[in-house]
Amino acid sequence: MPTITIDGVAHEFEAKQALLQFCLDRGIEVPHFCYHPAMSVPANCRQCLVEVGMTEVDRETRQVKFGEDGKPIVRFLPKLQTSCSQEIADGMVVRTHRTSDLVARAQKDTLELLLINHPLDCPICDQAGHCPLQIQAYKYGPEGSRFEFEKTHKPKRIELGPRVMLDGERCINCTRCVRFTGEVSKSHQLTIIERGVRNYPMTPPGVVFDEPYSMNVIDICPVGALTSVDFRFKARVWEMSKTASITVSNAKGSNCWYWVKDNRVLKVTPRDNEQVNRYWLPDEDRLDYERFNDGRLSGPVVDGRPSSWDAAYAAAAEVLGSVEPASILFLGSAHASVEDNWLLSRLATHLGAPAPVYIPHVDPGHGDGWLRTDDRTPNARGCEALGILPIDADSVRKRLSSGAVKAVYVLEEDPIASGVFSADDLGSAPVIVHAWHTDNRTLAAAKVGLPAAMVVETIGTFVNEDGRAQRVRPAKAIKGVNRTLMMEVGKSRHDLHGTPFDRWYDETNLVDCQPGWVSLPAVAARCGLELSYRGPKDILAEIAGSNEAFRGVSYEAMGESGVRLQETAQTA
Amino acid sequence: MADFIKHPVVELPERDPEPSVPADRLFFSEEEKARIATYVSRYPTADGAIMRALWLAQEKFGWLPPEVIRLTADTVGIPYSQAYGVATFYSQYYKRKMGTHVLDVCTCFSCQVCGGYDMLHHLEKKLGIRKGETTPDGRFTIQEVECLGACGSAPMMQVTNGPYVMNLTEEKLDTLVDALQEGRMPPFASVTLPQDQDEMGGNRRSDAPSQEIYQAPPVSQTIR
Repeated sequence: MPTITIDGVAHEFEAKQALLQFCLDRGIEVPHFCYHPAMSVPANCRQCLVEVGMTEVDRETRQVKFGEDGKPIVRFLPKLQTSCSQEIADGMVVRTHRTSDLVARAQKDTLELLLINHPLDCPICDQAGHCPLQIQAYKYGPEGSRFEFEKTHKPKRIELGPRVMLDGERCINCTRCVRFTGEVSKSHQLTIIERGVRNYPMTPPGVVFDEPYSMNVIDICPVGALTSVDFRFKARVWEMSKTASITVSNAKGSNCWYWVKDNRVLKVTPRDNEQVNRYWLPDEDRLDYERFNDGRLSGPVVDGRPSSWDAAYAAAAEVLGSVEPASILFLGSAHASVEDNWLLSRLATHLGAPAPVYIPHVDPGHGDGWLRTDDRTPNARGCEALGILPIDADSVRKRLSSGAVKAVYVLEEDPIASGVFSADDLGSAPVIVHAWHTDNRTLAAAKVGLPAAMVVETIGTFVNEDGRAQRVRPAKAIKGVNRTLMMEVGKSRHDLHGTPFDRWYDETNLVDCQPGWVSLPAVAARCGLELSYRGPKDILAEIAGSNEAFRGVSYEAMGESGVRLQETAQTA
Repeated sequence: MADFIKHPVVELPERDPEPSVPADRLFFSEEEKARIATYVSRYPTADGAIMRALWLAQEKFGWLPPEVIRLTADTVGIPYSQAYGVATFYSQYYKRKMGTHVLDVCTCFSCQVCGGYDMLHHLEKKLGIRKGETTPDGRFTIQEVECLGACGSAPMMQVTNGPYVMNLTEEKLDTLVDALQEGRMPPFASVTLPQDQDEMGGNRRSDAPSQEIYQAPPVSQTIR
């Protein structure tokens, strides 16, 4: 097996790859700015320099030569090499800053050069706290500045586009953003203009940086030069906790982090998943978070008046018991998790009502074949795998007007706003709705409104367009005590720096709502169906045991990056 | 550059300027397109041809407003942003309207020592404009530039990205400006290295005839 020695430790490898990536894969930290695994390697930041040498081999015998001290003779290249562009080779010997004073000195000098014109405005910079330049300046940089002159003043507060703000002075010209628009999104909307000390990234005249993936440059920017117009100055990174979850504004189920402060979602950033979205996230996913915070329905409603949870559950059960079961329309939801839809199906089966249907939200032409899809719901595929099929709106309207449907049970949907039926079509048929928002139009016509937890507050499984089942984890807490949720919150909310600003017990901005796997069993219990699970994990275990499509799917199997439903599910 | 050290301010270019070249003039002729196609064919990828193509565009339109850069990029077949980055990198591509004659006076190290600033200030006084400005009649623009690689004959200057005028004196500048007023460009002078004297008649350029073979004068004649 070919071997490479890094800082005196031998590492075996199989395929050739870049030295920097090889080190990063093995947890050997090598400081760098411009290198990004998904893009080309310009080697322009000069921060990943290492000493590279080869063991000397006798040309005749092909044997490694040994010196008088008994160690192999290593011939080092006369100059330091950028590890991002250096391919590994058998017999290579590498010294990083840990073992080479030369490398440590070079990295220190590089940082000194980068910092010459970099404003020291970390106290007001959004990037501070997770800024590679800040971190590396502390770890490897010089202690002070020897630069006595006025720093270069470049344009600041430039809106490159509607969502991305540029601070030219902070830029270190790593060209990650330019390469992103050139190689990944291929919009070619950015370039580095001018040269030398004057250069910075910019759109050419007459071009607006408005591509649907523009905000990715904010994440890959190694300094605070590119910031989010939306998120600027809202919170420091150490005040927020972040939770690994998925986005729900389309059927791709891109992996993301939800950043939460005081139980409000403030920011959504991509989470690496090679199988789904790699390092990227479309802007629509990032800006689709305010609905988690604002306009929420808090506390149940019966007949338009606030009610207690017990009374609301009882009222719902009374409605379900007052009409003949075959005339109850159960509406599942492609916005709700697999578990909640399953419980709804079980309730419908128990009562003897027809199987639930769901309302598709397909917007033809919206998808781009990458991370945006025509389908604007996160779980249509999961519904279909459960046997919940798309609604036939015409026949539903007919059955409503003919009186064949006498009650409607809606799970996390708004059929009136979706145009499935109108409030007039409903007539006197009572409606029970699990609703997120107060502006839910079905809620206005409903007898019972049960506030539902949204994706950032619940535990559950969503199946994306490609049949990948992925977990969501609670990012913010809800009102009331739910031990399952609280345990999960304690595990899923990473405090980036361990500061106490946003512990999970923060009690501000709590919404009085319940996840479907709490409220549906409560309604079912009052209808005579005992749905006793210890939590959504058990529900999924039951689904996996009884539904062929979900065989082998469990919370452990999904883990951080999800698992594909079996091939049988795809052909079904 | 000296000013930049005192006031290191980088201005933001206009984000969305009005087009300077009217739409009915904004095109390349078939012959120009063919020339650009030839440039493109010389390189493995189209990017390589952008510099020569921008040069052609500058010769045609006089300078490179954004719409001309976009036209050139489209003709070459590379992204507009990339072409714009290239155009802003090189000071020889004019991003603003220049005078008919652009006088690039070198004030870099060797020329500065040999009186480059004297030459620059003489020109400024003679034409009544500051460096970076254009005379009201649109004939002359003075620029202060960095090293043009003719230190052996400092102080020197370049006329409109073309011929060099070397071993400048105030009289020589007066003559030059008068000649340019009458529309006479200074002759191309080839700087010859001793080892090239015999080859090609001392002319190191293959694309222009040698009109005046330059011989380095004794030092005592240039430094007064």
